[in-house]
Amino acid sequence: MQSPLRPPKGTGPPGRKAPVFATVFAVVGAILLASGCTVANSGAAAGADTVRIVLPEEPPTLEPCDASLTATGRVTRSNITEPLTERVPKTGELEPKLATEWDQKAPKTWEFTLREGVTFHDGTAFDAEAAAYSIDRTVNSGIECNVNGYVFGGTKISATAVNDTTLKVTTAEPDPILPLRLSFVEVVPTTTDAKGKVREPVGTGPYRIDKWNQGINLRLERFDGYWGKAPEYKAALYSWRAEGSIRAAMVSSGEADVAVGLAPADGAGDHAVEFPNNETTYLRMDATQKPLDDLRVREAVNYAIDKKGLVASVFAGLGEPAGQVVPTGVTGYNPDVKAWPYDMERAKSLVEEAKADGVPVDKTITLIGRNGIYPKAAEALEVVQNSLLEAGLKVKIKMLDVNAWMEYLLRPFPDDIGPTMLQAQHGNQAGDAAFTMDQIYGTKGAQSSYGTAALDKLIQRGELASGPERQTAFAEALAHQSDKVVRDAVLAHMTGIIALAPNVEYTPNSASNDEMHLAEMHPAG
Amino acid sequence: MLTFLRRRIVSSAIPLLVVILGVFFLARLTGDPANLYLPLSATPEMRESFSAQHGFDQSLTAQFGDYLAELARFDFGESLRTAQPASEAVLRAFPATLQLAGFTMLLAVIGAVVVGSLAAYRPNSPADRIASFLSSTAASTPDFWFAIMGVLIFAVQLDWLPTSGTAGAAAWVLPVATLLIRPFGVLVQVVRGAMVSALSAPYIKVARSTGASEQRVIFKHALRNAGAPALTVAGDLTVGLINGAVVVETIFGWPGIGKLMIDSILQRDFAVLQAAVLLTALTIFALNILIDIGYALLDARVRQGAMA
Repeated sequence: MQSPLRPPKGTGPPGRKAPVFATVFAVVGAILLASGCTVANSGAAAGADTVRIVLPEEPPTLEPCDASLTATGRVTRSNITEPLTERVPKTGELEPKLATEWDQKAPKTWEFTLREGVTFHDGTAFDAEAAAYSIDRTVNSGIECNVNGYVFGGTKISATAVNDTTLKVTTAEPDPILPLRLSFVEVVPTTTDAKGKVREPVGTGPYRIDKWNQGINLRLERFDGYWGKAPEYKAALYSWRAEGSIRAAMVSSGEADVAVGLAPADGAGDHAVEFPNNETTYLRMDATQKPLDDLRVREAVNYAIDKKGLVASVFAGLGEPAGQVVPTGVTGYNPDVKAWPYDMERAKSLVEEAKADGVPVDKTITLIGRNGIYPKAAEALEVVQNSLLEAGLKVKIKMLDVNAWMEYLLRPFPDDIGPTMLQAQHGNQAGDAAFTMDQIYGTKGAQSSYGTAALDKLIQRGELASGPERQTAFAEALAHQSDKVVRDAVLAHMTGIIALAPNVEYTPNSASNDEMHLAEMHPAG
Repeated sequence: MLTFLRRRIVSSAIPLLVVILGVFFLARLTGDPANLYLPLSATPEMRESFSAQHGFDQSLTAQFGDYLAELARFDFGESLRTAQPASEAVLRAFPATLQLAGFTMLLAVIGAVVVGSLAAYRPNSPADRIASFLSSTAASTPDFWFAIMGVLIFAVQLDWLPTSGTAGAAAWVLPVATLLIRPFGVLVQVVRGAMVSALSAPYIKVARSTGASEQRVIFKHALRNAGAPALTVAGDLTVGLINGAVVVETIFGWPGIGKLMIDSILQRDFAVLQAAVLLTALTIFALNILIDIGYALLDARVRQGAMA
């Protein structure tokens, strides 16, 4: 974009000259003046009664009906707004929040008894009207709530206030886990916009929004009218840095108390706290294409990958070899489904066997990876590629960015690339296998490259069951996928890292990535 | 001058149109934003509704027509990610980048003039060799590495500076230093080269023979003539900083336009991306015109060439 009028570098014309550098300074000075002083001194001071948290990204919005988005939910959920019920990550049990009791009155009808004496941050009282309004706004309003797609998936629900403290919810089909689904619906007052999303919501949570300096930081302050036990920190100051090593350094240098979403290489050192983060990595095979349509080849893939070695070397020991895509604590988890053992000789013989029967094992399989899906994602794929080549398969890697990768994750899949294995990761935030099985393993699941009628039947059985029968049915479905269908090569249950300053006590759990409760943080000592 | 300005603006309009077209159509070739903005378990009906609501179900030409019509009304659309007007996000981020780039270039130019002139005054002297070595090193130092090392040493180990952020003057030091290092290195070399040529020119000998002081010879005669190439390079470097302070903005959490553009690309936030690119392109064109005007004002030959 250089101007043709300018002389080439190093050939300044001699002769009469005006002050060249004065012109440069004038231009720069004008830019500085024109741009104002919006950046300088835009930070917020924080005292010892404020917990300072550094996030990987700024929340795009604090809209409660988008709280299933990680970047939104980790700030909003149970800090600013609250649901009727809440799942305890450790046990998987539901505990009362704004509802104190709930009961399935009929297969399609649930009744909730609501907590009394709760007020919103704006002083209005919480009642069944507000609860019904929040459910309706999330599910039926047409404002594209992320929670609606994530939890309800198009299910029709109607909520009505029977009286101030009684809420009736009816569903189009029997739904044994409706209270669990409603744990994602954050309650807002009836004055909240029904036709559009709100960026700064009013809720009933222990903290309310004080100030959001967009691009810089967000401050929440303790809500003195909170119905429950008052949290210990008077305020929380969130900031965000995209670079993990900077987040870790902020804790090391005393600029932040908690740093979220770190990788082993970020250098959190003694401040690092590891926790199982609910994510499971796996490779999804397209079993509709040769040679992956042959069960022996899919078994060979599983035998060829040394999952223990992968976790130890590539994931720096942070993780656990896995045989199913849901971790313990999720309804349906099957403790008997173990990671496939590493047996390269068996893998080689299965490939040979398939080859002898005319299976085209020399057809190139494309390993589709996603940059940054988890730390060392590219290196993990290279290890897999090497293993599969050794087993006798022909494999190449294609690394993509998130949106290009999504084209291969979701139906309809591109059909011009041949057999593929997709690098994927699944996190079941809700704690029930219903949020995993149909979409990932159902014949028509949005993320499913292959399924069977037998597996569909098992999944459907689980979805309709409740209590222990539900656990048994989903566990059976997961075992069937692992032993009979073998659609995936499941790699590992992952471990997350946060950095914690010595002045803060906090125990992260499997839900901490998606909702980080400020009330669970305490000043040390 | 008006003729020159008109000609320059007309010639800038064509690349501007190419930029608008390129960003609009290329961005839309990179996948369906519904995949990013809706949960994986969203139904096909939800995806269709999302596309319809944001106009992605129309043909690309129809979408482009709508975009141009909105642009004519100074409506830059709404961010898919934040549901805020795209212009708000861009106008919030742009001053932050301008401040950073402007301050950095001011320091780079002043520093380069001093160091480059000193080095050129006695070519091959120890001062010249040290300046050449340091400027070459600075010009070839990766900014990402420099930034991380700066944080580790000055923020974590020595605790002299904050790691990142925008609060207070101390927070400017590492981002400015990181951004400064390359332009400073390049400009020192340019100023030195130009000054070496200027100081050996016949008119300098004439100036010395008239009894002019060394100070006057350097700053009044030589530096004036050596300034033009430095201005050319400084202009290009400034454009580069405005366009791409991405590394610094990402590492130091500086809420600028470079980071905003990268995030918009990754998140397929078309309206923000288009607004950011348009504003940046307009600024760069304006900056180029200002620099050209500067040249035309400074140099009669350039001015006459432009009029011809």
